[in-house]
Parts: sequence; structure tokens; C-alpha cells
Amino acid sequence: MTSIVSARNVSKSFGTLRAVDNVSFEIEQGRVMGLIGPNGAGKTTLLKAVLGLTDCEGRLSVLGLDPFRQRRELMQNICFIADVAVLPRWIKVSQLFDFLESVHPNFSRTRAEDLLQLTDIKTKSKVRELSKGMVTQLHLSIIIAINAKLLVLDEPTLGLDIIFRKEFYTNLLNDYFDEKRTIIITTHQVEEIENLLTDVMFIDHGGLVLDSNMDAIAEDYVELLASAENAVKVARFKPFYEKEVFGKKVLTFEGVSREQLAEFGEVRTPNIADLFVAKIKGEAA
Amino acid sequence: MIATQIALLRRELWEHRAIFVVPAVVAVLIAVSSLTGQVTIGDMKHIDIGIVGASNMPENARSAVLSVMMITLSGPFIFAMWILTVFYTLDSLYAERKDRSILFWRSIPVTDFETVLSKLLTALFVIPLITFVAIIATHLLVLLNASIWVDLRGASPWHLIWSSVPFADNWSATLVLLLTLPLWLSPFIGWFLFVSAFTKRSPLLVAALPIVLLPLVEKILFGSAILSDAFFVRSVKMPLFTGLDNMNLLMQEGENFSKFADANLSLLGLLDLRDFILNPQLWIGIVVCGIFTVAAIYVRRYRDES
Repeated sequence: MTSIVSARNVSKSFGTLRAVDNVSFEIEQGRVMGLIGPNGAGKTTLLKAVLGLTDCEGRLSVLGLDPFRQRRELMQNICFIADVAVLPRWIKVSQLFDFLESVHPNFSRTRAEDLLQLTDIKTKSKVRELSKGMVTQLHLSIIIAINAKLLVLDEPTLGLDIIFRKEFYTNLLNDYFDEKRTIIITTHQVEEIENLLTDVMFIDHGGLVLDSNMDAIAEDYVELLASAENAVKVARFKPFYEKEVFGKKVLTFEGVSREQLAEFGEVRTPNIADLFVAKIKGEAA
Repeated sequence: MIATQIALLRRELWEHRAIFVVPAVVAVLIAVSSLTGQVTIGDMKHIDIGIVGASNMPENARSAVLSVMMITLSGPFIFAMWILTVFYTLDSLYAERKDRSILFWRSIPVTDFETVLSKLLTALFVIPLITFVAIIATHLLVLLNASIWVDLRGASPWHLIWSSVPFADNWSATLVLLLTLPLWLSPFIGWFLFVSAFTKRSPLLVAALPIVLLPLVEKILFGSAILSDAFFVRSVKMPLFTGLDNMNLLMQEGENFSKFADANLSLLGLLDLRDFILNPQLWIGIVVCGIFTVAAIYVRRYRDES
């Protein structure tokens, strides 16, 4: 496996605020990494460092390059969408393609035009004439038409309605993803991307709270739905988070086998959103 | 690198349509006023078309009159070009932040240096060259209109106009002026680019305030006028016009045309390109422009947009 992103003790401060605090991780080729964290946790700062948009301390290597100092080379093999629907409003679709064709060595105009055929977008239209959903479709066709090794999506579906959000991810998986490509994605709507992730990182207060692949999560974490009475009995397994739902207790455990817990109630793998809340709140408690 | 730069320059023309529209509007206004006779007839009177067919002026005087007419026509274009350049440079790095498309532009394999360079090249060369084309078109239109006017009175437009105009001399002089003026004013262009890159709001105000206030402060504190000389006198005292006495001669009305004509001066001859290029102030200005441009690149690269 080749490492696409390699971070060693990466930090980034704004004044006294440590937006990213001594973070280390690896992302390997062919993975879909979800970067999840509350607002202001440092997600966007970390992504910006990966994209070479901001300098940082520590050792950060993306596709074997120093992202900040070798940004031009990097951008030939990286694509990113930071909040869709921010394509320049004055540009015509055809001009956008002309421009990309002449500056981006990995952009395939025919591919982009083929994809656009499937939508209502006309190449003569200006971006300002398109609806938000259409701009997203346009942006996605560009991304898919660029043969990039790494795709970075920062809240790509912010402000889109549910239909466009679903369509965005479906198209992304069908048309873009293969085992040679790597995706890093952040979003608030974790449930929507949960089934496409292969890996997940939780970030809070600038630090990594969890860095795991999805299979390992099913092995390492378990959620128990139990009566209040049973909940007391499992205290010896040290649940790191506990909440109440409809009069029943939901407890989250790490490194406890399902067999041990099964007799106390219903055992299941926590979904990412619940695990995230459990991790963040559990750490805080 | 060059292909990228060409693509970037093309991008500037797509985004800032005013680069075409402004000279085109000036051209249309002049062409229309020449149709109503405002421009042409006034000048043609010097050639005293009243005595139709018989040219009462020697050829070199006629040529001088026509040259003056052409220079006069270029005036509004040069004025409009400078206004356009000011607004273009102030907007060039500000608009992409205002409409938040900067992240898209930065997601493409183009460096900040290349992007800012394309804006500088647009201000220094592309805008002047487009203005030049508009001026030539206007000259031709107005002369064509004058020809019809002369022809209707039974005189020979070829003889009175087309064979008398020193086109090559006139247009070369225009081109030299169009290309040297932005270089002479380049410190301002650099400053505007820099303001456009850093300001959070109202670039025009932010750019203009120091230009107005600093000389005032200097005057009050030190009683000197170094800055006001650098800012204001510079813009009117371009060393290209050391032959300005000759220019005055040319610009004076009426009978002085013959003096100018007798001097047999060419417009190009009036421009002292050597003096311009050797002028240290030009090079200081270019260095200042370079410093501001590098600062603009630096701001675009290092500022965190979030």
C-alpha cells in the first residue's frame, strides 16, 4: 500500500489557538477517509494544510510532496471542492472547460462534456444562471473529469437539498472512485456518507480522537441497549459513554466482546454519528 | 508556463469585459459625433474646404492638421484607458475573494505568482493594446467619414486626406505612448494590485486614501512636498515629452500649424524614447511596482481565507 498522505506531528496555530495540535496519521491509496469533527475542531485547517493552502509545523507529505512548497505540482494530482457552488459566477461553462483544458494536464474535456450531457446544463450558460444544484453537478463533472490521485471534499454538499446530496455521493462513487483513487471527506451529515467510508478520523480541539478503519470499528466498539437495571451490572466493563433513549440505557464500550455483553441486552455496532458523539462527549466527561 | 499564462490572460478578458467595452464605447461615441460632423468638420475647416477641390494649404500643413485631429481623437481613449486600468487592477484580486471563487482558482495547478502576473500583464500590455486597436479603428472610421464629406463637395479625399496622413508615424507614436504610459505609472498599478489583494472592503477608498493623505501629512509635519511630487507631478511630467515645446507648437490653434508644418516634425520624433528609457525615475517606479506585486503574490499565497 502506498501512503498518499503522511502526517507526523502536524500542528497549526492561530495566535494562541492551536487549531491543529500535534496530529499524526497516514492515509493509504484507495481509501475513503471521513474526517469528522464539531465546528471549529480543526478539520478545515487540517485539510488546508493537506492542500498546501496554509503552512504548518511538523512533517506533512502529500503524494510525496511538501504541499505548501510544491503546490503547483501537487494540484496536478489533487482535486478539491471546498463547499460547492462557489465556481466563479461570471464564467460560461464552455469557458471553464477551455480554461481547465489549457492549464490542467489531467483534465479530460470529453469526459466532462459527456457527464454534462446527462444534466440540463448547457455549455453556453453562465454559472450565475445555474441553480445551486446545477452548479454542484457542474463542479462534480469537472472533478470526475480530472484524473486526480487524491480528492479532497470539505463539506461538499453544504446547503444542498437531500436529493442533490444523495445524487452527489452516488455519482461520486459510480463515476469517480476506483482502487487507485483516494478521497478525504468532511461533512456534518455523517449518516449520508457512512456507507461509503473505508476509514474514519475524529478530530476535536485540534487533536485526533479516533483514527480507524470501518472494519476495525465493528470489532472494537460495541453499543448495548439495556434496561436501567442491567446497565448498572455492566458498569464493570467500563462503558465510556452512556445515554438514555426511551427509558432504556444505551452504553458504548471499547474493546469489550459482544458475547460478554449479549446477556444484558441488545448488542449492536454503533453508527458513526453515535460513536462520534460518544467519543467526543465521553472524552470530555 | 506560456500556455498557462495565455489561458490566464484570456480568463481576465472573460471576467473583465470592460477591457473591451470601455474602448468600444469611446469609439462608438466618437464615431457617432463624427457622423454628425462634430469632430471632422471642425478640423477639416482648417483645410478650408470652402474652396472646394483647391487645396489652399501646403501638403505638410494638411498633414499636420490631420495629425492633430488624430491625436485629439486618441485623447479620450488614453483617459478612459487609465480609468479602466485603475478599476481593473483594484478589482482584479478583490473580486475572486468577494465572490468566494478564490478557492476554486487555487484548486487548479496554477501558482499565485502566475495568477498575479497575468493581472499585471493585463494592466501593462493587454489593456493598452486593445485600446490601440480601438484607436486605429476610430481613426479609420472618422477619416472615412471625412472622406465622404470631402467627396460630397467635389474634392478628392485621396488627395486631401489619405495621401496626407502620416499613418505609420502617427500610429507608432500612439503605440509608444500607450505602452510607455502604464510603465511610467506602474508604481500606482502595483499599489492597486496590492490593495486589491489585501483589502477586506472598498478597494478604491483604501487605495486612494494614502495617496491623498500622506502628502498632506508630510506637508504639515515637515513642510516638504516630496510625496506630492512623487504622486502627482509624476503623473503629468512623463519624460517622454521632453520635446514638449514642439508639442505646444503643434497644439496651438490656427496659423501656428504652418510653423509646425514648416518644422516638418513627425509625431514619433516628438517623443523622446531614449530619454524616457534612461530616466532613473522610470526604473525606480518599475522597482516599486515590482515590490507591490510581490507583496500582492505574498498576500494571496499566505493569507488564510477561512
